[in-house]
Amino acid sequence: MTEFVWKIGGEAGFGIMGSGLLFGKVFTRTGYYAHIYSEYPSLIKGGHNTTLVRLSEKHVDSPVLTNDLVVALNKFAVEAHMPHMSKSGGIIYDSKDSDIKDLKIPAGVQLYDVPMLELAQKAGGDMLMRNTVAIGASLALLGYPVEHFSDIIKETFGRKGGAIVDINISAAKNGYDYIKSKYDVSKFPFKFTPKPNSERKLVMTGNEAISAGAIQAGVKFFAAYPMTPASSILHYMAAKEFEHNIVVKHCEDEIAAMNMIAGAAFAGVRSMTSTSGGGFCLKVEAIGMAAMSETPVVVVLSQRTGPSTGLPTWTEQADLRFAIHASQGDFLKVVLAPGDMAEAYNVTQKAFNLAEKYQIPVIILSDKYLSESYSSVDRSELKAIPIERGKLITKDMKPLAQMERFKRYEFTDDGVSPRPIPGVIGGEHIASSYEHWENTFSTEHFETRKKMVDKRARKITLLEKELEPPTLHGPKDAELTLVCWGSQKTPVFEAIDKLNAEGLKINALHFVYVHPLPKKGIEMLKAAKKLVIVENNSTAQFGGLLKEHAGVSFVGSILRYDGRQLFPEDVHTHAKNILQGKEKDVAVVDKEPVEFYTARFVR
Amino acid sequence: MMATMADFGTRETPQWCPGCGDFNILTAVRAALAKTGKETHNTVVVSGIGCSGKTPHYIRTYGFESLHGRTLPVATGAKLSNRKLTVLAMGGDGDGYGIGLNHLMHTCRRNMDMTYIVHDNEIYGLTTGQASPTSMKGMKTKSTPHGLIELPIHPLALAITCDATFVARAYTGNIPHLTNIIAEGIQHKGFSLIDVLQVCPSWNRINTPDWFRTRIYDLQKEGHDSSDKTKAYEKALEDINSGYEKVPIGIFYKAQRPTYDDELPQLKDAELVNQDITKVDMSKTLAEFE
Repeated sequence: MTEFVWKIGGEAGFGIMGSGLLFGKVFTRTGYYAHIYSEYPSLIKGGHNTTLVRLSEKHVDSPVLTNDLVVALNKFAVEAHMPHMSKSGGIIYDSKDSDIKDLKIPAGVQLYDVPMLELAQKAGGDMLMRNTVAIGASLALLGYPVEHFSDIIKETFGRKGGAIVDINISAAKNGYDYIKSKYDVSKFPFKFTPKPNSERKLVMTGNEAISAGAIQAGVKFFAAYPMTPASSILHYMAAKEFEHNIVVKHCEDEIAAMNMIAGAAFAGVRSMTSTSGGGFCLKVEAIGMAAMSETPVVVVLSQRTGPSTGLPTWTEQADLRFAIHASQGDFLKVVLAPGDMAEAYNVTQKAFNLAEKYQIPVIILSDKYLSESYSSVDRSELKAIPIERGKLITKDMKPLAQMERFKRYEFTDDGVSPRPIPGVIGGEHIASSYEHWENTFSTEHFETRKKMVDKRARKITLLEKELEPPTLHGPKDAELTLVCWGSQKTPVFEAIDKLNAEGLKINALHFVYVHPLPKKGIEMLKAAKKLVIVENNSTAQFGGLLKEHAGVSFVGSILRYDGRQLFPEDVHTHAKNILQGKEKDVAVVDKEPVEFYTARFVR
Repeated sequence: MMATMADFGTRETPQWCPGCGDFNILTAVRAALAKTGKETHNTVVVSGIGCSGKTPHYIRTYGFESLHGRTLPVATGAKLSNRKLTVLAMGGDGDGYGIGLNHLMHTCRRNMDMTYIVHDNEIYGLTTGQASPTSMKGMKTKSTPHGLIELPIHPLALAITCDATFVARAYTGNIPHLTNIIAEGIQHKGFSLIDVLQVCPSWNRINTPDWFRTRIYDLQKEGHDSSDKTKAYEKALEDINSGYEKVPIGIFYKAQRPTYDDELPQLKDAELVNQDITKVDMSKTLAEFE
């Protein structure tokens, strides 16, 4: 099996993230899968940025800790990444700007001194085109035809005019030829060959998958305020607003965005907003309003490391309880946490169906790791989920008698009441944040209040049937079961595969439907021999929920809250240790002395 | 058949204090809707929370009693979903000029095609009498027992600055004038701010009917040119600049420019709500990810 990890590192502002995508696409168009992940600090220029591209013949959905080829755009990148090289890996650097003579390069690691700036300039380019030279050089080492990269350059930069395309192609060729002429590429152990007639895979981020899923679901109104790591949802939706006839509004604040989507949903269109934790704080009041007025809204919460400003560009799963309990009062909401791109695309569509059928707020939980990772998917993994709008009334009814109002909050067996939209004759009613009678007028009548609470809560009976059980990964019969949710699916599943290959009887349960908990999921938990909770937070928030609702207990935990997600290697090591009784509760932390924010070593 | 004032009525008894200016606003809104030929099913009245927030319940149209201060964004979402709707937003001076003021400025500059009626009684009513953003300096209230230090905000001047296209003020003591102003606001294509000076018999002992009667005058009777933005701005500050000797009502400023929904090609063929969402073609969109 061919697998390969490429990493480019340097300071922010030099197009590192974009070059990872271009490099990855060379391969996803010719038969391979890729996972692309960027790590970066919260600044525009400077600091340290990296983009990792992992290539494989099989589906890959998480980054790993060991690099096979590093492109170092400065000395810091060489020093930061050289401890994480595979045995016969290589580092491409430019001795003209990085004097690395004082560094102790690990034995076996090959150095490729490529004058990246000079070769870029020779092509008519500048500093920004060092990446292109480096990609050309990397392809030469891999034995991959540079023409596939040229095709992507033509498509990507084509609209900017011919000159920029020619310069980039020439820069890539310069890098490619330079390696070929100066080094014996046959000594580089990683080789790839394009697979003829392979279907091009789709390369998308979690945020793009959520956005495209929303478009597939017929979202017509989207309002948001920028906040990392959710901003790219706003960007994507805005870029598509004419193509798919969607009104996309960058609002004055998070509160406006949330209230606007409630107004739009009330008027009958599928509506969504997106934000991160800080913005979600401001939306909370209107989430309760959506619940009380039974207005269907979809809110994407892409978590970052908290509390407060926290680590703005790093990841965590610590907003689960916040999302579940957001807003005052007891009420029903659904919280969904997709674990990969296909799930993000498909689950977003289901979120709209659930919101409309049950007239409730639905929250989609992502995080920086899922939102900003790119993974390749096969087109067939992305489904078109049939649209279900529940008891929406869009056709005129019998006009109401004078003084009367439509019973928008009618007591029904399933708790869901008919929902006419403005414009429909005979449906005049108030959507109300105040407790109300069936005819929508405000009330403080005790019995009616109780009946309304019960009506809204009763929706769970039907809804429960739609809550999907967790995915069981690995053998049915296992000594140990790892329990995870949302974005940590990919490192956990990968670790399980490896542990199973080593002959260990271990499996994993991954929950997408995290609230309310699916009954089948509780049964599956209870059927497991021993459980270990795996989460990207410090208090095992989901584990606590499972203790409360499923009555299960855990023999150990693998948690991480240093700003990074779990890597497959972390899960592999610690799950094995727990299985063998060597560890119990683990808090994973990266002890590397590297700090991205100021690009320095903290020793 | 055109809807009459009675068609906009509801069975419920308004839960306001006896003598509250809100009764007159309610009467004027119902009359203005009938006068402008609006239909009950194509009209949406959105409110926030507070005494003004109760208003939609007493007007038989579609409505949304939303959150304190959030009237305008909720109304904006509804309008953009279905631009054929006539949208009225109801706010109060605490709700609209305090906690929700930010939305006013942005809704003005968007020129959202809706009518915003602010029930301005210069006090917080439902929370039992605290100073509001339009309370006069020095006013003693439960939250300012030693006298209010801040100067009041000037909502009309603010709206003019933020390029609202219809800026007016009326008074609950003059229902025919109030009705006409609201009707003009509804008929205006663009964002209308109507600041309605209102008595609060329970909590405001300063701005009483007598106080208003001696100070209020009608701008239109004095020949004010509502197309003159500079003059409008001057008039919007006349109350404070005259030491409250003169409090003008009427249309301060009126202009024409495209509304927000006019500028959205997405709405050219059909309102969002009337677009078919069952046949979304993703082939081109997904191909871009290759």
